[in-house]
Amino acid sequence: MAQVKNRLNPFFENITFDREDNEMILNFGPQHPSAHGQLRLMLHLQQEQITKAHPDIGYLHRGMEKMAENMIYNEFMPTTDRMDYIASSSNNYGFALAVEKLVGLEVPRRAKVIRMMLLEINRLMSHLFWLATTALDIGAMTVFLFAFREREYLMDIIEGYCGARLTHAAIRIGGVPLDIQDSFITQLRVFLDKLPQNIKDYEDLLNTNRIWLMRMEEVGIVSTEMALSWGCTGPMLRASGVQWDIRKEEPYELYDEVEFNVPWSDKGDNFARYRIYMEEMRESAKILYQTITMYQKCVKDGQTELMAHSPKYISAPKLDIMTQNYSLMQHFVLVTQGMRPPVGEVYVATESPKGELGFYINSQGGPYPYRLKLRAPSFWHTGILTDLLPGHYIPDVVSIIGTTNIVFGEVDR
Amino acid sequence: MAQHKVNYTQDGGLPVALTSIDKIVNWGRSNSIWALTYGLACCGIEMMASGASRYDFDRFGTIFRASPRQADVMVVAGTLTKKHAEFIKRLYDQMTEPKWVISMGSCANTGGMFNTYATVQGVDRIIPVDLYLPGCAPRPETLQYGVMLLQKKIRANHASRAQKAKRLM
Amino acid sequence: MREYTPKDDVQKKAYYTDRFYVSPQVPKSPVESDEVFAADLAAIKAKFEVTDAYIQVEQMVVFIKPEDNFGVLELMKEELEYTQLSELSAIDWIAKENRFEIFYQMLSMNKRKRIRVKMFIENGQAVNSVEKLFRSADWSEREMFDMFGIEANGHPFMKRILMPYDWQGSPLLKTYPLQGDEFAAWYEVDKIYGKESRDIIGPEIRDTARVDRYDSQRFARLGHEVPKGTKITGNEPKNEQNYQEDGGVFMVKKFDKKDSVVIDDPQR
Repeated sequence: MAQVKNRLNPFFENITFDREDNEMILNFGPQHPSAHGQLRLMLHLQQEQITKAHPDIGYLHRGMEKMAENMIYNEFMPTTDRMDYIASSSNNYGFALAVEKLVGLEVPRRAKVIRMMLLEINRLMSHLFWLATTALDIGAMTVFLFAFREREYLMDIIEGYCGARLTHAAIRIGGVPLDIQDSFITQLRVFLDKLPQNIKDYEDLLNTNRIWLMRMEEVGIVSTEMALSWGCTGPMLRASGVQWDIRKEEPYELYDEVEFNVPWSDKGDNFARYRIYMEEMRESAKILYQTITMYQKCVKDGQTELMAHSPKYISAPKLDIMTQNYSLMQHFVLVTQGMRPPVGEVYVATESPKGELGFYINSQGGPYPYRLKLRAPSFWHTGILTDLLPGHYIPDVVSIIGTTNIVFGEVDR
Repeated sequence: MAQHKVNYTQDGGLPVALTSIDKIVNWGRSNSIWALTYGLACCGIEMMASGASRYDFDRFGTIFRASPRQADVMVVAGTLTKKHAEFIKRLYDQMTEPKWVISMGSCANTGGMFNTYATVQGVDRIIPVDLYLPGCAPRPETLQYGVMLLQKKIRANHASRAQKAKRLM
Repeated sequence: MREYTPKDDVQKKAYYTDRFYVSPQVPKSPVESDEVFAADLAAIKAKFEVTDAYIQVEQMVVFIKPEDNFGVLELMKEELEYTQLSELSAIDWIAKENRFEIFYQMLSMNKRKRIRVKMFIENGQAVNSVEKLFRSADWSEREMFDMFGIEANGHPFMKRILMPYDWQGSPLLKTYPLQGDEFAAWYEVDKIYGKESRDIIGPEIRDTARVDRYDSQRFARLGHEVPKGTKITGNEPKNEQNYQEDGGVFMVKKFDKKDSVVIDDPQR
């Protein structure tokens, strides 16, 4: 069958081979099943060893920062979902918190508890997904199927709350749109009670697995200096000997009221990162148990507020909009024209499952942000591949990309 | 020796089935649609979920292949950016005939919510598309229903006649 | 009659603006109110010129001269324990003052403090690269170059990072349209099929609200689907979409609607 005519040259640069110095250039991606998205790597090889790595990104650049400059603040919320689409609510939350800091809103306690529940569920979802895909890349298909099974339970809970499986948009500026459904806590409890056994199952399959250990131990060692210099955050940094978790160090929401540990390691290799992800799942479960108690206390104390009260920036509750003229007018203005935060700028960092997710907002008093910069952790975790890969062998590339846990919606934005 | 009696004339007992070439070829084609893993963005995650434990795509004979040369259908799952556009064309050209394309999600259909400078406004500007799945992101059930519709489309073809290559232009 | 005003993008501009409305400011507090920041600022001031400094939303903002950026960041890294450069980027002020504002977002893990170092550069001026200090600046500066066209002196690989190498224009400049210019609109068509095929493929449809029920190329009416490209009269009969032919499928079990279960309650 004749090929459809096009202008593209035959694509032979996938492999170039130079007889003189025995150097081979291998092109990996941009559509590679174990690249976790659209990563393109140009690898210079000496036999099987990598001498130079050149990651090329931007294959999922969708212009979110430009979009934000042309949108009212609330309109941008669903776009943040598509950044780190494995854990959408954590992006929603990062943006909501940045705007709240900018305008100075105080979120009601019950909303804070619900937000924390969503954040931790998202962290669990993200870590389970990380485990599934990394294990699949290394060849452990069973773990992939197991971890996806658990992830589906969480997805059902989230779907019951906000109606979407993947792109939640479950958090609003100033609070949360609605209370959790009746079955939320029961379902969550059932899941959390099963989780330790599930994590143990994964660890039984992996921890002493010879293949897993050979692919993970002493591979992809990130030193502390390198991690700090490259701006690594989250599990990448904690595996390299820095015990830094924004939830602990600069607590937001009610993270200062819950008890949890920050797992860290000084090894810096793939296996250390794997262990940290597993431990963090246990810690998330611990936090979730505590938030359930906190939520039940909120219910007992009769705290029903879910959105901050600030007529200038936040629409009134639905009942007020339907019954009071002034609330309706405010709502109309806020929906059509958007809120106008004060002139100023803010940088707020939150601990997303991948690391430090920062939103820099420069407001000039208009309904659109003048400049919005998304500081996504994966961007730097991809950049570090430049320095990390040289010296390693081809099979290590896949396991290193796996443990850096990069998501391309976030890298390219 | 087997003692039971088989009535070869009833209950499909005859180990021979008569059919036309069209039907048998289409039966084979439609029940082993191997898909190219083309997860570009968020929809790619739902595509993975449909291949994983709960939704189990293997029931349909759909197995994800990493190589375009082994794939029959390209599920374009996610936003296609202008930087990536040439690669989708290359991979489409590398697939063997007969081939089909499912455009999964709003971004692949029309550019979706990303109405910006960097996004291709619909993957059908680059390659011909057979099936458009709405949603942002479509649920795994949507993808499975889409594959069943594609099976129906394949069955409607005449396998014995020469296939006309799909061309965008 | 009233003069007609275009209403393509009415949301871009507020319907009504109060002439007397003055935007409030995000409160700034003096640096002296925080001991750690005051000590840091004193250390910077001892060696470099600081044009302005204040605390806004728990973070100190320091304005410096653009030629000092490497020195200030080096001082902060070596002596003041600001070990991480979280983010750096630019803000476009060309329309107002013909200059860019560059910010460096610094983090000290020992002190648990964040400082934003800022500076202004003229349009067309280059900045000093801080890539030697922080490797993270490698990609950030490339991104800044890609999005704003601001070059960094001394950067080892000053090339585009997010957009393709042959892209034209800097997307995050305020003068660059959100939906791209002429070059961007035809980029993929020109590259893959060539300029002469522009007419065949046609322009991009950017109107998100466009629906044409008589266009069977791009739209399908639910429940009234017709093959692609058919002329639509508007009186198409309803055809129920079914994934199996009515006569059944060869060697595949026939789907019987009566035997199927419809799940109403997703929480079952």
